Amino acid sequence: MIKKIKIERPSIIGFEHVNRYWDREREIIAAKILPGEYYVTREDEVVTTVLGSCVSACIRDRESGIGGMNHFMLPQTSTGKSSDEIVGIATRYGNFAMEHLINTILSNGGKRKNLEVKVFGGGKIIPTLTDVGIKNITFVLDYLVQEGLKPLAQDLGDIYPRKVVYYPKTGKVNMKKIQDLHNDTIIQRERQYINNLKAVPVAGDVELF
Amino acid sequence: MASILAVDDSASMRKMVTFTLKGAGYEVEEAVDGVDALAKAQAKRFDCIVTDVNMPNKDGITLIRELRSLPDYKYIPMLMLTTESSAEKKQAGKAAGATGWIVKPFDPDQLLKTLNKVLG
Repeated sequence: MIKKIKIERPSIIGFEHVNRYWDREREIIAAKILPGEYYVTREDEVVTTVLGSCVSACIRDRESGIGGMNHFMLPQTSTGKSSDEIVGIATRYGNFAMEHLINTILSNGGKRKNLEVKVFGGGKIIPTLTDVGIKNITFVLDYLVQEGLKPLAQDLGDIYPRKVVYYPKTGKVNMKKIQDLHNDTIIQRERQYINNLKAVPVAGDVELF
Repeated sequence: MASILAVDDSASMRKMVTFTLKGAGYEVEEAVDGVDALAKAQAKRFDCIVTDVNMPNKDGITLIRELRSLPDYKYIPMLMLTTESSAEKKQAGKAAGATGWIVKPFDPDQLLKTLNKVLG
């Protein structure tokens, strides 16, 4: 008989759209994030994703165990201005992806001084394309240096997609390089994500009181 | 040109904001959290405050509330620049005395336009 497991709502508001299911192999609830998504939890559950040329930061408060993961890549846009490196669309988008994850941890009781970081991804999974993975890797490593956060573990670059399973409660990561791409779902998802990125302006709302 | 105090606990965010503001000719000082900002704002009178919300030691909403109680900062424009977009947080910011609320992702042109409006 299959054991029925009731999946409660996410412990933090704002993540109701994330696909969560019972991982029978690991016997734990898993939240699966797609390119452009992130997930933060207080509970003992895992966050999982599959990375091609995208990168994921796994971040948690090592004392309270609040933590989560993002999954992003930089938009491949450039205005050619010298200011691009500091405030260009790519940098601002990447910054937002990192900050959203960190701020959600901090606003739910995490402390900046307790943050523990692991980073993965940025594979050059398609030999013919320009190496977008390396741009994502460079960004995330530079960002961490600027923020004074030293990654405790990393597995970046190479030519393989990666499946990452993160346990925010303990900080443990199971990572597997996918040697055989039997289908091109990963590539399709990333392509769709890249195309969506082009269409979305990198700016939020302004309200004057 | 107006002087602005930019408050954020993220070093990369401070770098982007400072770069944008200096590029537009503003005089900029940075603070790393609400405690640092309050000390700097009391040592020197700024024409505008741009602050994050979630920060260690003292958050942005508390910072604005405390600044508003000081005679020098009663009428100075204060903008929140934050990843927070919930109506409750915005309401708390408004109640504390914020002039406006800008939701990240950070956009340089948007920040400069908003500053032009509130400093105008």
